Amino acid sequence: MTDMLSQQNFERLAYVAFIAFIFSMPLFLDEFGLNRFSKYLVYGMLGIAISLAWGYAGILNLGQGLFFGIGAYAMAFSLKLAASSTAGGKTPIPDFMVVNAEPNAIPELSSITTGSWIWVPFQSQWFGVAMALAVPAILAGLIAYTLGRSRVSGVYVAIITLALVLLVRLIVIDQQQVTSGFNGLTDLAWFNLFGLELDPYAKSTYLIIAFALTIVLLIARWLVSTRAGLVLQGIRDNEVRARYLGYSVVSYQIFFFVVSAMIAGLAGVLYVVAAEFASPTFLDIAFSITMVVWAAVGGRASLLGACIGAIGLNFIGATLSETESLMNAWQLIIGLIFIVVVLWLPRGLAGLASDLADRFVTRADDSKWNRFKSVKHTQSPANR
Amino acid sequence: MIESVFLGLSVASILLLIALGLAITYGAMGIINMAHGELLMIGAYCAVLTRIHLGFDMFMALPVAFVMAGATGALIEVFIVRRLYNRLLDTLLATWGVAIVLQQAIRLEFGLVFFGIHIPGLGSGLQNTGIPQVLQGSWQVAGTNLPIFRTFVIGIALIMFAVTWWIYYRTSLGTQLRAIARNAKMAAACGVNVKRINTIAFSYGAGLAGMAGVLLSGFESVKPDMGSSFVINGFLVVVTGGVSSLFGTLFASGLLGEARAVLAIIYNDVLAQAAVFAGVILIILVRPSGLFSPKQR
Repeated sequence: MTDMLSQQNFERLAYVAFIAFIFSMPLFLDEFGLNRFSKYLVYGMLGIAISLAWGYAGILNLGQGLFFGIGAYAMAFSLKLAASSTAGGKTPIPDFMVVNAEPNAIPELSSITTGSWIWVPFQSQWFGVAMALAVPAILAGLIAYTLGRSRVSGVYVAIITLALVLLVRLIVIDQQQVTSGFNGLTDLAWFNLFGLELDPYAKSTYLIIAFALTIVLLIARWLVSTRAGLVLQGIRDNEVRARYLGYSVVSYQIFFFVVSAMIAGLAGVLYVVAAEFASPTFLDIAFSITMVVWAAVGGRASLLGACIGAIGLNFIGATLSETESLMNAWQLIIGLIFIVVVLWLPRGLAGLASDLADRFVTRADDSKWNRFKSVKHTQSPANR
Repeated sequence: MIESVFLGLSVASILLLIALGLAITYGAMGIINMAHGELLMIGAYCAVLTRIHLGFDMFMALPVAFVMAGATGALIEVFIVRRLYNRLLDTLLATWGVAIVLQQAIRLEFGLVFFGIHIPGLGSGLQNTGIPQVLQGSWQVAGTNLPIFRTFVIGIALIMFAVTWWIYYRTSLGTQLRAIARNAKMAAACGVNVKRINTIAFSYGAGLAGMAGVLLSGFESVKPDMGSSFVINGFLVVVTGGVSSLFGTLFASGLLGEARAVLAIIYNDVLAQAAVFAGVILIILVRPSGLFSPKQR
């Protein structure tokens, strides 16, 4: 009995329960509810990305919305083109470009507005998906490399990533003829997955998103348990020591930062599939910091905790927000929860759960547990 | 051109008032206060409320805002920030929570709406304070019209900079604060009441933000989220200027404010702001300790 409830088994049980839970949602929710829940799953994926970068790599990225936004826009470019018709030429032209077109411009994607040529390869939706993953990866690699080389410390990373997401947001808003500016991209087509049209309100779309989340969660969990993941946590806890031990601190951090960015990019793709729009609000600072709140409440150093934190907070928030007076109150409560968590629960709800599980295990079989611990300690006194 | 340089100076002055507070809290105390923008917002609401309910003009609103924002800052320090010294990133996160709470509290009028009590001038409306008669109009320099109000803003910012400099370098309070910045434990061992000094310094920085809010209410609409963009810009100023260097902060706020104003005429406001962000990112990468940083020991 004790063996079944050991710390590791407790975690395994939590993963299985979570995956079973998200796959059973279609039994309880109607089409509308399912579509909403699929968005929460996407937020859960963002929680995993934050936890990986912040909880494991020790890099507090206050601009995760940048990678999410790039992923979302790349996907939206493709799906917008799939929903657009030609304006007299051969290539489809998005409606907002027709409005923004310079007089006498040739109505082709390559020439209709300044910069519109960027859209040309997005006529293939898989190019959109590829860019949604590749651009965040390359960008994250560059950021982590430059920051690592100049060895700027944690706060500066936070400030730089923050400034970066604001910078890109301003450019997206300014370059209206390419990005549709403030309005964002709406009226998108459905994603075509090998002949299956992903209707955002269909059960199959929900299941695909749930599947993607499961895969991401398991890969991330596996990554942190590998040797590289352990070295990474060593770096987080004492960077100088890891460097003196001969580990290339920067390359480990770059790798995990890139993975985190790609997860965020994928989340952007799935969000656009489920929500059918992309907008500059994805690049708001408030959104990026909100992601950090989810991860902090769920538990920054627990992938599953951060994921559940994101899903749970959004679910509660959306349920309360159905009445308008509660919507504002919910924002207030979020702020209070955050203060409380930072002050008294730095490891979040996952930390709380793991402490409770520990206590339960100890109570369940005190003598055996203590004997096990004492044996371990006598064997290797040097490690204490 | 002169007009926009002047405009840039007045924007820089607001930035300076905000950044001074941040430079003290971040540079000397090691705290990132994300609620600093909300203290500015409280100052702006002080201007609106005292005008509606007490008939105060802007001159009288300035000390009121200083006291109100300072008191709020003291409360934040005592109840939240004090528990988080030496946990830099956690101060950022906790004060972000404080920022949300303050914004929503104003939006919900402290929750009084639930009891059917409504305070005129509070809430999410778009109020704007009137500028006093004396400060309206403009004066002429070399054939260009310079608004008197903006001159007043620049003047207040420079006066407050001088006051801050004097406190920081010429009073016992400032000496103790600088001692804490160097080594808090050693300062405590030498008899400095670290907790008390920290509360005073935090509260003073908050008060400056409150004054900035009053001045800002003269050219921007007063709303609960008016401060959030300023706290980011304020931090960029502090980081650019070099932490714990008051003159660095002065120079950097001038630089950033001017760069934005001048680039805004050449391109547009959005691109100007973007260019400033890009410039600051480059500066941090090249000189992580800022343009003016004291030699590390």
